[in-house]
Amino acid sequence: MSVVIDILMAILLIYLALRCMLAPELSKTIFTFFAFGLTLALAWIRLEAVDVAIAEAAIASGFMGVLLLDSLRDFSYALSKNPKNLELPENFTIKESNKSLLLPRLALGIGFVIFLLISMEATWKTPEGGGLTAVSEELLPQSGVEHPVTAVLLNFRAYDTWLEIGVILMGLLAIFAAGGVKNYRKPSMTAVDPLLRQVILFFIPVLFLFGAFLLYFGKTGPGGAFQAAVLWGSIGILFHLGGWPIFAMIPRKLRQFLLTMGLGSFLILGFLLMAAGGAMFEYPPAYAGILILIAETLAAISIAVALTAIYVYLTK
Amino acid sequence: MSGSGLEKKERRYPMMIIEAITVILLVVGCFFFLAGTLGLLRFPDLFTRLHALTNADNLGLGFIAAGMALHFGSPWTAIKIFLIWLLTLLSSATSSYLIARFRREENNPKNGKEG
Repeated sequence: MSVVIDILMAILLIYLALRCMLAPELSKTIFTFFAFGLTLALAWIRLEAVDVAIAEAAIASGFMGVLLLDSLRDFSYALSKNPKNLELPENFTIKESNKSLLLPRLALGIGFVIFLLISMEATWKTPEGGGLTAVSEELLPQSGVEHPVTAVLLNFRAYDTWLEIGVILMGLLAIFAAGGVKNYRKPSMTAVDPLLRQVILFFIPVLFLFGAFLLYFGKTGPGGAFQAAVLWGSIGILFHLGGWPIFAMIPRKLRQFLLTMGLGSFLILGFLLMAAGGAMFEYPPAYAGILILIAETLAAISIAVALTAIYVYLTK
Repeated sequence: MSGSGLEKKERRYPMMIIEAITVILLVVGCFFFLAGTLGLLRFPDLFTRLHALTNADNLGLGFIAAGMALHFGSPWTAIKIFLIWLLTLLSSATSSYLIARFRREENNPKNGKEG
């Protein structure tokens, strides 16, 4: 029975991905993408990777959804304002001959074959002992946390996680640099709906609680800084959607501090550990748990603020 | 289900009744989802489609949640499932309301302004 569900889900995923790419209208592409993201989250749950599922649902369908819908609104407004600029002419056809398309098609075909071969190889060559599972589970008591994924992400592979936070910050810097280039802005039609504001006010404590739970629970189960950060970041976005510009209310210096806090705390922690005579992220086993929790909390706040900032700057 | 029936009759019957109720609840929930999907596909305009969708979502999910809560049988899980249903109810109702409101204001903008 569960095999049938898995196979159906795999077929649905591929179908949705194809529909998403081949959809004739931009709005259909975006909504199919939501459906794809949610199905993908379900597939992750079937694979028993609940933390990936939460991140997938929250980022791909939630956070990306807000940004995609906003850009869709701008795009359709731009189209309705001066269609000649953006719309293709009615009789638009691709004028290139078949000859010039041969090479890209060949490259695509070869790439597809190589991809198939590599994935087949990867499927066959799964290590018998389950890869590094045994090693990481053996070292789990030293890591200060009880969940293997959290241990890998924040202790054994902390360097990687630290750089991921840096990537988010770099993306935000790029948005800051290019920010405010919007040419078209649909004037907002009415004041923010009172009902929407009430519902947002109701949801914010729930989101905060759920985020805090995921952050703390990350020690013993699936969840962690990124998942918590997305939920907390959605609090900021909801505040803005409800017409409370909290991001602008925070003083500029404090904003900068909050944004860099996550990256900075990891950096300081790493260098302090080096100064104490270890490797960069070699936590002393006795304090590993509390150190990871502190670094994770700061990182979560930082990422949450960064996500809010991305939303605010992209929809300004 | 199969082995425990011999020793205690009074224990077997509640189990069977609970399972039967679970199945009935799930089937009713699925019926509402089907009806909602049919309405979404067949109804002529946005408002009727929203009506079909919210009815189906709320009632269908409610019945399925009730069925699952009964299936798991622990009160703590039942409370959690009930909370999930409540949150979904709230968010789906609000989003449907917002979509409907947006469409209505698009059709007849206030203050003579162009929408």
